[in-house]
Amino acid sequence: VKAVQSPESSVGPLHSTNGLALDRGPVLGPWTLDSGLETDMRPLEGIRVCDFTWVWAGPFGTLQLAHLGADVIKIESARRTDTTRGLVPADDRPGVNRGGYFNQYNQGKRSIALDLGTEEGRDIARRLVAVSDIVAENFSAGVMQRFGLDYDSLRRVKPDLIMISLSGYGATGPLSPYISYGPAQVPMSGLAGLTGYAGGPPSEVGISYGDPNGGIHGTVAVLAALWHRQRTGEGQYIDESQWEAALAMLPEGLLAQVLNGRPPERRGNRDGVRAPHGIFPCAEPDTWVSIACGSDAEFAALCGAIGQPDLALDERFATAAARKVNEDDLEAIVSGWTRDRDRWDVTRVLQAAGVAAYPAMTSADLLADDHLAARGLFTRLNHAEVGVRAHVGIPWHLSETPCTVERPAPLQGEHTDAVLREVLHLSDAEIAGLRERRILT
Amino acid sequence: MAGALDGLRVIEVAGGAAAGYCGKLLADLGADVVKVEPPGVGDETRTLGPFPGDIPDPEASGLFLYLNANKRGVTLDLTRPRGRALLHGLLRDADLLVHATPPPAMTAHGLDWATVHELNPRLVECTIARFGAGGPLAGYHGHEITSASAGGWTTITGSPDFPESPPLKAFGQQADFQAGAHAAAVSLGVLIGRDLHGGTGQHIDLSVQEVVISMLEMAIIHHSYGGRVASRLGSKVLQPWAMLPAKDGYVFLLCVTDDEWRRFVEWMGTPEWTEWEIFADRAARAATWDVLRPLLEEWTMQHTVEEIYQGGLANKLAFAPISTMGDLLASDHLRARGFFATIAHPHAGELVYPGAPYQLSATPWVLRTPAPLLGQHTAAVLGLTPEHAADLKAAGIV
Repeated sequence: VKAVQSPESSVGPLHSTNGLALDRGPVLGPWTLDSGLETDMRPLEGIRVCDFTWVWAGPFGTLQLAHLGADVIKIESARRTDTTRGLVPADDRPGVNRGGYFNQYNQGKRSIALDLGTEEGRDIARRLVAVSDIVAENFSAGVMQRFGLDYDSLRRVKPDLIMISLSGYGATGPLSPYISYGPAQVPMSGLAGLTGYAGGPPSEVGISYGDPNGGIHGTVAVLAALWHRQRTGEGQYIDESQWEAALAMLPEGLLAQVLNGRPPERRGNRDGVRAPHGIFPCAEPDTWVSIACGSDAEFAALCGAIGQPDLALDERFATAAARKVNEDDLEAIVSGWTRDRDRWDVTRVLQAAGVAAYPAMTSADLLADDHLAARGLFTRLNHAEVGVRAHVGIPWHLSETPCTVERPAPLQGEHTDAVLREVLHLSDAEIAGLRERRILT
Repeated sequence: MAGALDGLRVIEVAGGAAAGYCGKLLADLGADVVKVEPPGVGDETRTLGPFPGDIPDPEASGLFLYLNANKRGVTLDLTRPRGRALLHGLLRDADLLVHATPPPAMTAHGLDWATVHELNPRLVECTIARFGAGGPLAGYHGHEITSASAGGWTTITGSPDFPESPPLKAFGQQADFQAGAHAAAVSLGVLIGRDLHGGTGQHIDLSVQEVVISMLEMAIIHHSYGGRVASRLGSKVLQPWAMLPAKDGYVFLLCVTDDEWRRFVEWMGTPEWTEWEIFADRAARAATWDVLRPLLEEWTMQHTVEEIYQGGLANKLAFAPISTMGDLLASDHLRARGFFATIAHPHAGELVYPGAPYQLSATPWVLRTPAPLLGQHTAAVLGLTPEHAADLKAAGIV
């Protein structure tokens, strides 16, 4: 969400500071066996998704389906361009195909340009739905009804359809007509009120958390519905409220209220029962390391690693409860040790002793990281307008049917002709006619 | 009514909030989830609160009770051969094994892919690991704050108003919950693929660190598209997008589109601001936030949070209050949708929990049973005779 000019802003467009990521593919562990599969098809190959979603929540959800091999067809229109196509343009030169935000979260999808403001455009959309398994949308309430593309209309052309509507407040209830965005879910859900430095104001969490959280929950619901359809032939409609999905992430806050009549206080990086538990300063400016001990054994290991083994026997720190009471003293000791050290030295020393420690990483750190390069996290495909740039790829590996990001995010309408030809079997003349009537825009 | 995942058999080996949340998402939609906990101590989340009266109690952790409703619970010591043999018996009939056992301990606990794949070729195994199950750092230790930091989340959380303060972790177990949700999604996708394409099971290696990185919104692309490093000390790409003080607390303002900005300034009675070049578009307003912020604060300080929220709704603006937990439990909207769910637990009593994150029309989310007491279903799930159970208990296996 936030950006400052990088001290390394002269780094070239590839930003692979160590070169590793460009040369090394994913490294799989020793569990990889010869495939027992009769096919090497990716899990959702053969599943088609009509994707009407935009901004972040919906696209984050359908991205997961694309990662798993589904054919995700994004239905767009230049008449209402996705706002993320305008965010973080490559090299600060705007253009509908240059937005990094869009290009990150729409990898692996296809795009068809269709003016849903016309009856003919809506007819094409319905014909696509008729040959799809899943429809996803996150428009404001009522938009799909106005287009005649609501669930009750669409199930007539596809009786076993699975459709998800993802909205701020859900499809029912007094607030359902109102607009919301992912960033607003952070305060709405109470997460902002629970997050923040001790004694300070509520805090945002650096990302529009309601969006990816809403998106991934939508993916779970859609795939559960698909599992059910595979067994029973029955489709269904899913109503997801991003607000409610965000509340599902806050059981400790809500149950503290239910159990004790009050919410937890804001306490920075501290934990309710564990100490030390924080992010401590290191030698270089604005470099930090997280350190957390979950047990007495881990604390004893920390004391040994920092050369103060007697601390583990000190009655101020001998138990978790005592460490919580004397946490200010304990943090002063830990930060006294980290303050003059390099964050990676701290990490190596503590990890070798079995203590959970790791630097607080920046985006520049992540893009240059050897571990992530070895696992092949970042994709660097060639995009027709922005060239080769790093995007986050798939955060998991499959042993038998490896999944990779097959294509960069689509240009607006890049696959219009291909989809109409291959999926709907339209002739070149029919496509030309639609284009002439300005339906494909 | 049937659940969407009726017939799906899941074995969850306990180990924190990520595997617990994965199992919960599946159990709440009808899967038969058996949770395997270490005897004596149980799942790590039993030690995390909140607790009634703030007194630690492994059968009354709010987090544990929330994560484990709708599951059955057994205890097994997987460091012992007899414990592993009993686990392997359960795996023979299962569709999915999910766990967050640290990769170096997987073989010792009988969870390595070669072993479980041979036992049951149709089994899907999902390993949730802090740094993934493979790669140079696969053996590194971690907790929630480790993953939030390793994933690049904490350096972008905080505020330029506190330049000396450290990177900040979001409240709760957000990295673990996201990893658990991704694990549930990918596991379902792989299981569907297994059945669609007539294949065998496979191993999913899911990294909590990478899941966090995948949710950093613009942080990675700020670098690869603009050569900038995202930071909690930096500025936003658009404004207004901020929490500002109102008469009686903080309120959140957001105008993503220029239409929203126009409606906002008309409502404030300052329509001429749309003519000002320094506020010309969302990026310009971000660049001149130092000027805009005090102007907006002057207005927000004259109104209550509720006035601003309600006015926002009426003007089609996604403004928001900073909800307290009490506000949420009292919300008319959430009540009308039946969001909160209540169930009685034999030890902790009747409690209200966060409910369905989604409503499925044909196969609804249902809270059926409370979280298991430690080892509550051991004998029933393992099919033990009283003699066998007593023997295993005496040996410390269950």
